[in-house]
Amino acid sequence: METYQYSKSQKLFSRASEIIPCGIYGHLGPAEACMIPVSAFPFYVDHAKGSHFWDIDGNNFIDYMCAYGPNVLGYADPDVEAAARKQAEIGNCTTLASPKMVELAELLVDTIESAEWAFFAKNGGDVTNLAMLTARAATGRKKIIKFNGGYHGVAPWMTALGYPGVIEEDMCNVISVPFNDLEAVRRAIEENPGNVACVIGTPYHHPAFGDNEMPVEGFWKGVRELCDKNGIVLIFDDVRCGFRLDMKGSDHHFGIKADLSCYCKALANGYNISALVGRQELKSAVGSVFYTGSYWLSAVPMAAAVACIHKMRELNAAELMLNLGKKFEQVMCAAAEAEGFRLHFSGASSMPFMRLEDDPNHSIHQAFIAECVRRGAFFANHHNNFINCALSEEDIRHTGEIAAEAFRAVKKDHADLLK
Amino acid sequence: MQKDLKVLAAINLHAILRTMEDLCELDSTAAGLIHGAKTSIRFVIPEIKPMVLDFRNGQCKAHEDAGASANMSLRFTGPEHFNRMVDGQANPIPTRGFSHIGFLKSTFTQLAERLTAYLKPDPSELAADPEFKRSSTLLTAYVAFFALAQVAELDPLGQVNASRIADGNILIQLEDVGLTLKVRDHHISVEKGSCERPDATMHFSSIDVANGILSGTMDSYACIGNGSLAISGTVPMVDDLNKLLAQVSGYLS
Repeated sequence: METYQYSKSQKLFSRASEIIPCGIYGHLGPAEACMIPVSAFPFYVDHAKGSHFWDIDGNNFIDYMCAYGPNVLGYADPDVEAAARKQAEIGNCTTLASPKMVELAELLVDTIESAEWAFFAKNGGDVTNLAMLTARAATGRKKIIKFNGGYHGVAPWMTALGYPGVIEEDMCNVISVPFNDLEAVRRAIEENPGNVACVIGTPYHHPAFGDNEMPVEGFWKGVRELCDKNGIVLIFDDVRCGFRLDMKGSDHHFGIKADLSCYCKALANGYNISALVGRQELKSAVGSVFYTGSYWLSAVPMAAAVACIHKMRELNAAELMLNLGKKFEQVMCAAAEAEGFRLHFSGASSMPFMRLEDDPNHSIHQAFIAECVRRGAFFANHHNNFINCALSEEDIRHTGEIAAEAFRAVKKDHADLLK
Repeated sequence: MQKDLKVLAAINLHAILRTMEDLCELDSTAAGLIHGAKTSIRFVIPEIKPMVLDFRNGQCKAHEDAGASANMSLRFTGPEHFNRMVDGQANPIPTRGFSHIGFLKSTFTQLAERLTAYLKPDPSELAADPEFKRSSTLLTAYVAFFALAQVAELDPLGQVNASRIADGNILIQLEDVGLTLKVRDHHISVEKGSCERPDATMHFSSIDVANGILSGTMDSYACIGNGSLAISGTVPMVDDLNKLLAQVSGYLS
């Protein structure tokens, strides 16, 4: 099997480093994306279609990161692209709102079980922050309960003390408790009587560098009851899981109704839009928060979202991706076993977290992922991967071949790690 | 940034003065200054763990254990007094070993000047002399990582950053030189030399890269991208280590 080289990516990165902080900043950059070793990874995409992308060196990858989630139907989905093009021809960022906004809000309310209204922004962090502000506006309280290691974006309160730019005052109203620890939630509420505005969490725990953790039986139901009893707003951060667990919402999937739910990644197949949806009782509170942005009401991403949601409903996208993910897991585990390794999967099969067993410092897994990427299967070694609806049986079969050869390469070239 | 005087004193003692040990290994002039020396100095500062610098037969060893013997003791009224001494604005209070005052006034002062020349190098000397640059970079790295342990131990924000680092060993590699940071129950200790199977590794591909990153003239993220700084293993350990390193820069600036 050919192994890839990335001379054009590396040359462009060198140029970029002169005038762009970090060369590529954020989660797609080589540092934050844990590209280990960097020589195994491409940095820049030339084009993408379906479940594949091609880098600027001409290498073709089956993509299991899906732009960290937004690619849900397959890159450049013809229906979504047609809807976006049609809207672009008649208007995008204009002085007045587009009727598409109403159509999209109605569609979300019709799709998501707990949604009775929808508010649009651009990124996941826009709406997790809006959810927190809405909870404070509705309750007149300060405190936010979140779960250790839960990711809700990059606003200071969502990060942690010690992060550059974050000060104590940013964090003084944030209480972090372990996920799945209902007693800890109860204690946090009791220790702050009448002062907790919201509990915010992802539907299940999906940290980087750690096994993903499903909610234990009764956890969300218990949190829901505590929130109801104490007048606290329950926020589901469905930015990552949204429409990959359940088309009716991840709160519905786990048998509860959240007060507010945050959506982004899978909303519009890569067009930039996010949404906060919620219960009727919080509609005036969210309306009272002054919150807007120059591009938040742009019509093209809304048209793309309408087309994307319609298509996801037709496909029953969540179920489709969960099933594809199960096949992917079977193929990968078989490839590992055949070469004497054991792969461990956790989280939903539509966004599986994968790691090698007996590898406490992750170095064998990092070597394995690097060998896969060099052969055309793009994974991250630190983060859950993502399945998209365009992933074919042939893609999965070929990924198995790549994994098998990658395991052999690890045995041959990284014997020191296996001692 | 507001510097905590206690943390600064701990850095001045356990990171900067401690590095005299490495200075005397790397710099023949420094080694020559202590040729035949038999002086050991205990630094006693309220609220700071004491340290003994033992100058003997052309070598210097830093001892942190409380029982280490010394033939001279220098006391300070508090961290501020010690910091002022390091800045050359105050004198220590010798309480033992008056016969070694001469060593303190002459040899020790010359060693301190030699160390300062490496830690605050003249850019032209760095550019002209690769060996000087190598020694300067290594000494700067030793200071930075030993200081990091003090920040993690004593600085309130440093304690928060350290609280997120899981137990394990982090290997820092500068070319062929290794430094191991041992994290146990959120306390960090530093040992010169490599370790087997580190939990995380930070590898500087060259002295130039290490010098650039430690002096703040190179973008560490860009260096990761071009492979000149390689991070591997349990990366979150290194992420939080970097937050501590950023705090160290604030104390040393």
